[in-house]
Amino acid sequence: MRKVIAILLLAVVGYYILGTLLNLPFGQKATGVGKYYLDSTIKETGTVNTVTSIVVSYRGFDTLGEVTVLFLAATGLGAILFDKKGKKRSLQNASLIVKTSSKMIYPLTVLLGAYVFVHGHLTPGGGFQGGAIIATGTLLMFMAYRSFETNHTALTIIESLAGLTFVSIGISGLIWGYSFLQNILPLGTPNELLSGGIIPLIYIAVGFKVGAELTTVLDTLLKTIKG
Amino acid sequence: MIYFITSVVLILTGMYAVLVKKNLIKIVIGLSIIDSGVHLLMIAIGYVKNATAPIFSKPGLTADKMVDPVPQALVLTSIVIGLAVTAVALSLVIRLYDHHKTLDINKIRKLKW
Amino acid sequence: MSPVHFIAIPLFAAFLIPLVGKVSKNLVKLIPGIVFLYLSYVAITLFPIGIHKPIVEIIAGFKAPFGISLYYGPLAAFLTTMITLIGFVIWLYSYKFIIREPIEKYYMLFMMLITGSTGIVLTGDVFNLFVFLEITAIAAYSLTAFLRDKDGAEAAFKYLLIGSFSSTFVLLAIVLLYANVHTLNMADIATKISSVPLTTRIFILILFLMGLGIESEMFPLNGWAPDAYSQAPSPVGAVFGGIVVKASIYALMRLIYLMFEFQSVMHFLVIMGVITMLIAEMSAMRQQQIKRMLAFSSIGQMGLVIIAFGVGTEPSVRAALFQMFNHALIKSLLFFAAGYLVFHSGSKKISALDGLGHDKPITSFFFAFGALAIIGLPPFSGFWSKLYVLLSVANSGLFAAVALILFSSVVEAIYYLRVVSRLYFNTEVATDVRRTPVSGLVAMGILTLVILFVGFYPNLVLHWMTPAANELLNKAAYIKAGLFH
Repeated sequence: MRKVIAILLLAVVGYYILGTLLNLPFGQKATGVGKYYLDSTIKETGTVNTVTSIVVSYRGFDTLGEVTVLFLAATGLGAILFDKKGKKRSLQNASLIVKTSSKMIYPLTVLLGAYVFVHGHLTPGGGFQGGAIIATGTLLMFMAYRSFETNHTALTIIESLAGLTFVSIGISGLIWGYSFLQNILPLGTPNELLSGGIIPLIYIAVGFKVGAELTTVLDTLLKTIKG
Repeated sequence: MIYFITSVVLILTGMYAVLVKKNLIKIVIGLSIIDSGVHLLMIAIGYVKNATAPIFSKPGLTADKMVDPVPQALVLTSIVIGLAVTAVALSLVIRLYDHHKTLDINKIRKLKW
Repeated sequence: MSPVHFIAIPLFAAFLIPLVGKVSKNLVKLIPGIVFLYLSYVAITLFPIGIHKPIVEIIAGFKAPFGISLYYGPLAAFLTTMITLIGFVIWLYSYKFIIREPIEKYYMLFMMLITGSTGIVLTGDVFNLFVFLEITAIAAYSLTAFLRDKDGAEAAFKYLLIGSFSSTFVLLAIVLLYANVHTLNMADIATKISSVPLTTRIFILILFLMGLGIESEMFPLNGWAPDAYSQAPSPVGAVFGGIVVKASIYALMRLIYLMFEFQSVMHFLVIMGVITMLIAEMSAMRQQQIKRMLAFSSIGQMGLVIIAFGVGTEPSVRAALFQMFNHALIKSLLFFAAGYLVFHSGSKKISALDGLGHDKPITSFFFAFGALAIIGLPPFSGFWSKLYVLLSVANSGLFAAVALILFSSVVEAIYYLRVVSRLYFNTEVATDVRRTPVSGLVAMGILTLVILFVGFYPNLVLHWMTPAANELLNKAAYIKAGLFH
C-alpha cells in the first residue's frame, strides 16, 4: 500500500519536473552571467580555470559558506558521537601485501592531493578535490592498519588555522581594498603557477582544511567500538 | 535530453528509497541518490554542444566553445553540502543503532509514519 | 562599518574556538558573548543608516549580478538587529544551562545556527541563500541530537530526513530558475522573471513553497518541529522558535513578493495560515509535555504571521513583522522559563509542575508573564501585535479569518492558563534545593523588560516597521537598489 502511494506521488512529481525541463532549450551556448564569466575571467581574476574563478572569486562568499558547512558537519559529528571513554576501530589487520602497498601509496596520494589543490586555478581540481584525495589516502591507512592513529591535536590546529586564514584573507580585502574577499594581490601572468592573486592562497587553505576535516570525520565514523 | 530524463529518474529513485525502505542505511543511500540526480541535472543544464571544459589552458581556446561554468561551480558547492548532510545522517544512524540495536525503522517508535 | 561583519566576525570566531578550546574551556564559553556584543554594536550603528537608505554590500569587488551582494535594507536592518539581540540573550542563558560535554562544540554550533539565520536575512543571491539555509540546517540537526539520548537522535533523524527533502526542493527550484533566466541575483531575477513561461514559474513557486515551508513550519510540512523543539536543549528550542523560523519565513516572503506576486498565491497563503494555526492550537491543547506544547504554540503563531503576510496590504505586513518580533521575544522567554521548570521538576510532563510557583517563584513568574503576554492580554506587547493583525485582516474583509483567529486565541488562552494555574494554585508543594543560576534569571529579566517596554510604547517599534513593510511591498525599489547601486 505504501509502495503504491509512494509511486503515485513520485509519478506526479516526476511528470511536473520533466514537463518543466522539456520546455528548456538543451545544449545552447552559455548566456547571461555564464557568458560574462567566460569572457572576463582572465582579465578580472587572472585565472584560466573559469570554474575556479567563479568558485573562489566571483562567488567566493558561497565557498566560505561551503567550508563552514563542512566544518559544522565535522563538529556536529563530533558532538553526536562524543564519548567520554573514547572509542576504538574494529577493523582487523589486513594482509601483508595490502599493508606494504598502502604504505607505499599513502605518501603518493598525499602528494597528488597537494598537487591538485596547488594547481586549482590552472587545471581541473582545487581545494575540495585535493582535500578529498588526501583523506582517501588516510582512509587507506585506516583500513590497512588497525593501529594507525592520526594526531588529533595537530588536525584541529590545521583545521582552525586554515579556516582563520580564509577569513583573514577576506577581512584583509575589506581593510586594504574595497570589499570583503576582494583580491589585493597582483594578478600575475595567466597560466602560471603564481597567478590569480588570492585564489591559490585560498585554495591551499581550503585544501588543508578539507583534508584535515574529512580525516577527522572518517576517524570518528570508523571508531564504533567502546573502548 | 537523455541527461534530463536520467537525472529525473535518479531523483525519483532516491525519493522512492527514502519513502519506502525500512533500513536506515538504505534511507541515507536514498538521500545521496537524490543529491546525485540534482547534480547531474545541474551539469546537464550547463551543457553546450561540441564544447569543452571552461579552462583556457591552451592558446586558441575561445569562450564560445566552452560549456556554461556557473552550474559546475554550483555543483561543487552542492556536492560538499550533500556530503556534510550524509555524514551527519550516518552519525545519527550510529547513535540510533547504539540505542535500539536495530536499523529497522518499524522497531524505532517515532520514525514510523 | 559594513553589514558583512555580521557574517565574517562569527565565522572567524567559530574557526578560532577549537584553538581556544585547547587552552581553556571557560574562555570558549565567553567567545560567543563577545561576538554577539560586538555585533549588537554593529547592528545599532548600522540600523539608523539602513532604515533610511538600503546599503548594498558587494562581496569580492564584483558588482551585481556577477558577484554576490548583501542587501541591508530596512527589513534586513530590523531582522538582523532582532536576531543579534536575542542571540546575545540566549547565549547569556546558555552560559550556565549547558553543562554537558563537549561544550566548545555546542557553542560553535550555536553561533553558526544564528549566523546562518543572519545570512539568510542579509543575502541578495538565491544560491547564497541556499548555502546559508544549509548552514542553519546542519547546525540545527546536530544541536537537536546534542543531548545524545534516544529521543534526541530520533527527533534529529526525522528532522534531517524532512530537511533534506526541503533542501532538495529549494536546490531544484534554484536550478530551474538559473536554467530559465541565467542569473542568480534576486533583483536581477525579479526583472527577468516575466519572460519565463507561466507553468514553469508556478512549478518553481511550488518547489520554493515546499522547501521553505518546511523550515517555516507551514502545514502540513511541520511534522519535525514538535520533536525537534522538545528534544533539543532549551536554549536551542528558543533559537529555533525565535530566530531560525523567522529567517526562513522572511526568505519565503521575500521570494514570493519579489518573483511570484500572483493574487491566488496570496489567497493560498491565507488559507494555509489559517489551517496551520487551527491544527497547531488544537494539538497544543492535547499535549502532555510542556516543551511540545510550546512548539505547537509556536507553529500556531507562525500561522498567524503567514495569514498577515498573505493579506498583503501595508498595515498587514507591518502587523506580521510586529507579530514576528513579539513572538521571537516572548517564545524565547517561555522556552527559558520552561527549561528551568523542567530542570527543577525533573520531568518534561506538565503534570510534574504542580506547586512549583511556590518553590521557584521567580522562574514561575517569568513563565506566567510570558504566557499572559503571548495570549495577548493588555498591556503586554502580544496584545498590540495581535490587535493589529486582526484589524488589518478585518480591513481586507476576511471576516471568517478574523473569527478563526479569535477562536484560536481562546484555545491558546485555555492551555496556557492551565499550565499557569498548575504552577500557582496547586497545594502540593514540590521542593528542589538547586537554584536557578543568576545568568539565566538575568536573561529572562532582560526579555521581560523589553516585552513590557514594547507593550507600553508599541508605536515606537511600529514606527521603524513601516519602512520595513514598504520595502517588502515595493518591488521596484528593491530592484533599483540591488542592481544599480
